[in-house]
Amino acid sequence: MKHDDLDVLLQDTLRAEVAAASDRIIDLEERVVMELGDRRPRLRWFQWLGQLAAPTRATRWGQIAVVGATAAVFLFLGLTLSDRIAPNTPAPQLSLQRLGTADGMQSVLFVWPAPLEAESVAVVGNFNAWEGTDLSDPDGDGIWTAQIPLAPGRYEYAFVVDGKWQGHDPRADEVIQSFGQYSSVRYIGRGGDDA
Amino acid sequence: MRMRTARTAGVLVLLTAVVMCAASAQVSLQEFERALYSIPASNPEFLLSTIELGMTQEDFPAEQLLGLIERLAEHPGEPFEKDAVLNVLAHALEVGLPIEGLVNKAFEGLARRIPLHQLESWLSQRMVLLAETRDLLYSKGIFSAPSRAPQTVPTAIPMPRFNLLLIHMSEAIGDFLEGGGSPFDGHVLYQEVYNRLTMLQGVTLVPDDVQLVLERIEPSDLTQVALAAVS
Repeated sequence: MKHDDLDVLLQDTLRAEVAAASDRIIDLEERVVMELGDRRPRLRWFQWLGQLAAPTRATRWGQIAVVGATAAVFLFLGLTLSDRIAPNTPAPQLSLQRLGTADGMQSVLFVWPAPLEAESVAVVGNFNAWEGTDLSDPDGDGIWTAQIPLAPGRYEYAFVVDGKWQGHDPRADEVIQSFGQYSSVRYIGRGGDDA
Repeated sequence: MRMRTARTAGVLVLLTAVVMCAASAQVSLQEFERALYSIPASNPEFLLSTIELGMTQEDFPAEQLLGLIERLAEHPGEPFEKDAVLNVLAHALEVGLPIEGLVNKAFEGLARRIPLHQLESWLSQRMVLLAETRDLLYSKGIFSAPSRAPQTVPTAIPMPRFNLLLIHMSEAIGDFLEGGGSPFDGHVLYQEVYNRLTMLQGVTLVPDDVQLVLERIEPSDLTQVALAAVS
């Protein structure tokens, strides 16, 4: 057999086989796409997390949604359960707490546990020219409180219970002697001490 | 047209309010004069001249000083005793010392009902401490510069910053002595000053200023300052 005859025979055989299978490859692409559309790949948890980190717009929105939803759930749980877990009463041993405000001032909470029969408690210091700012005890449990906005700095103060000075606050940063009596000192605005 | 007129009127009212607020925030010399006459001060001219001198300083505590004079006027003590308290402050102003700490302590002394003659001697000691501490800083090559001028060298600290350093250093020494500390415990004294300044660095004190002072002073320097105050 000549070489050219062999080529012709091979081509004829191939054409015949393709013609026989042609009905099977019509619309193959559409059918594959449809098949894939019905079967989205199931992602494992680490693949899902990886996709969240992918820097596409859709995944970024996904991230924001997940973080927002988690924060909302925790906020809701915190607000509803905090009163049940820890009743909302000031801790007697805590004399002074700091809460941040937007203008750089800090709302400082002064707390003094006084005898139940005490009639007035005030705090005096170099933030109010040593003129008393009254503390209040609305529930009558002996825990007197006042919130005073203070700029960052060093403050000397004392409590005055029914006219008697109490300068030794156990929660103060320092206790100094001034005019032969005790004064407490707090530093407001130092990094790390406001927690 | 009506809208524009209303808007212009609104802006004018707002501007007037701002100007009035700014004017009312400043304490005038006449207010000091009135307060001094109500004591009555024996030498109000001298006090007023020193107050006028102090008012040129950026960090002069005008409102606090006026409040102190008014509180002294209400005090049941003798006028000459009130005069003596004010004279300490006047002398501090005369030699260019910052009086903020002294005014604060005077308020505290009045609130604690400290007799005026004791308050005066207490303030005098604190004034000596301020002066000695300033001399120490000068001797270490640390000076105060006009606050508006640019800081050309690290050792020339703008006046409000310099004054704050001075107040906290001298108060730390004063509190140490008042708490029963000995001037000869130079290292403990140094630690007190170190603690005070580092607690406030980055809060009200500039960290570079604090480091400059702590690098240049020594325990023996502070002993000298403390000895001058108690002698």
